[in-house]
Amino acid sequence: MTRANAGAPFRPMLRQGDRFDPEAARKPLLVFDDVHKAYRADAPVLRGLRLSIERGEFVFFTGPSGAGKSTLLRLLYAAEAVDSGRILFMGRDVGRLRPESVPYLRRNIGVVFQDFKLIENWAVWENVALPLEVLGVPQRIIRTRVGEVLERVGLGGRGADRAGVLSGGEQQRVAIARAIVCEPALVLADEPTGNLDPQLAIDILGLFEDINETGVTVLFATHDRSLLDIRPRRVIVLDDGKAMDVPNGLGNAAELIGHVA
Amino acid sequence: MSPLERAWRGGRSDWQLHVLSIFSVAVAFVCMAAALLVVVNVQVLRDAWARSGRASVYLRPDASRDAATEIETALRSVAKVRSVRYVSSDDARREVLDGRNDPIIAKLPSAAFPASLEVSLTDDASQSAVQKIAETLQVLPAVESVETYQSWTERLASVLRSGVMAAALLAAVVLAAVVSVVASTIRLTLQRRRIEVEVLKLIGATDDYVRRPFIIEGAVQGTLGSLLAMGLVGALFLIVRSRFDDELGALIGISPSFLPWHVAAGMVVVGGALGAVAAYGSLRKLLLV
Repeated sequence: MTRANAGAPFRPMLRQGDRFDPEAARKPLLVFDDVHKAYRADAPVLRGLRLSIERGEFVFFTGPSGAGKSTLLRLLYAAEAVDSGRILFMGRDVGRLRPESVPYLRRNIGVVFQDFKLIENWAVWENVALPLEVLGVPQRIIRTRVGEVLERVGLGGRGADRAGVLSGGEQQRVAIARAIVCEPALVLADEPTGNLDPQLAIDILGLFEDINETGVTVLFATHDRSLLDIRPRRVIVLDDGKAMDVPNGLGNAAELIGHVA
Repeated sequence: MSPLERAWRGGRSDWQLHVLSIFSVAVAFVCMAAALLVVVNVQVLRDAWARSGRASVYLRPDASRDAATEIETALRSVAKVRSVRYVSSDDARREVLDGRNDPIIAKLPSAAFPASLEVSLTDDASQSAVQKIAETLQVLPAVESVETYQSWTERLASVLRSGVMAAALLAAVVLAAVVSVVASTIRLTLQRRRIEVEVLKLIGATDDYVRRPFIIEGAVQGTLGSLLAMGLVGALFLIVRSRFDDELGALIGISPSFLPWHVAAGMVVVGGALGAVAAYGSLRKLLLV
């Protein structure tokens, strides 16, 4: 990427209705290239992380608390900057984006948090409509689109309820609806089931799998081993600043041992 | 949803905070408007006295009527003099007592009131021309003194200068107070709506998009606060005028007037602009999500 490109506003060409960019489509969606990050010099969180994630993948990030799962996701939506190395999202170096380009990056990424981050005194409908309002989508289309997404996450007919009165599982569904309402290329889930009971956690995971079925890339950070074992999926284990990439889930012990070896 | 609608939604949820802020801004603007009101009326008074174009030529007690007539005739021939009226000691006493029930003044003899020539000058008579006439009259043997009222105008001008300085100082204090109040309110509002701002930033809202409703809220606080201040000062002015208009008219010769409309409108505009600037300033550091 040239320096001039690095300074240009970030406007990927993959959103529906936009011009198709075949060059961008051939590149991996995400590339972590020798990424280093440390909050303290003597305790690096990420040490030379190298990863490549293709379009449409569902990837678990796991590891003990403090292993850098959340940091990795925060680096992706430019809430933090890498110390060295590159993170390429659709071929663009996230770390070199100008501050005014960061909002355009974030419009292509849906983020779901453990604590939902809903505006509790607003209606469900208003919470979900917010990303579309930021994009300046006409109200008529917003109404239709929000209705569809609420149906999709199982909250059809709950749009007028205040977000604060919903149960934890329902609130997380609202947060997921908000994350996908703009049809982002990438959805980041930072411990989205951390506040939910096991059955609800499985339901929420199923919802993310449904989203992934539509072609959206999902990065799911969790330390809940039981979720990783439900289906064999690519798992990236973060520990001591390093990443171990396990393509078919931690259930396949032989493969895991092979990676460790 | 437009920034106005978003500001309305935010304002509704934090209405107590906004009402408090509006009231605080209004108090600050009441102080400034009251000071300006005094300045404006002193200015009107000064202008009225400066334009009055009159002089009183007080005659010595031993000056004869003939000498007075001679001066009167001479004055009538001066180009800048519109009219001359002889006021005898008896007439002066009668004029002072007219409409007053003051036993002390009533007991004073006519000799206590010097005879005078009341000179009315044309509107184009400059201060220097008036001064020249006064100096010429002063040397006449029948003339005791000449009052041109210029010293009063000068005193008023001095009061006005001090008033303008005091008002400017007060304006600076008020500006600081308004900026501080609105900025604090916006910071508090931002803290209360922290999640909203965080979410907006995460979903790709630009800083301008996030800022706009807060700036509108700041501008509305400033505008409503200054409007309320104008209303309060206007009401107080009407009350004071209705009770003391006659006394003030008799004392200073003019009826007090309210702030000119463009000054009042300017204060409202300044209030709104200050509110917007204060909101913008308070958000600059706090939007780093």
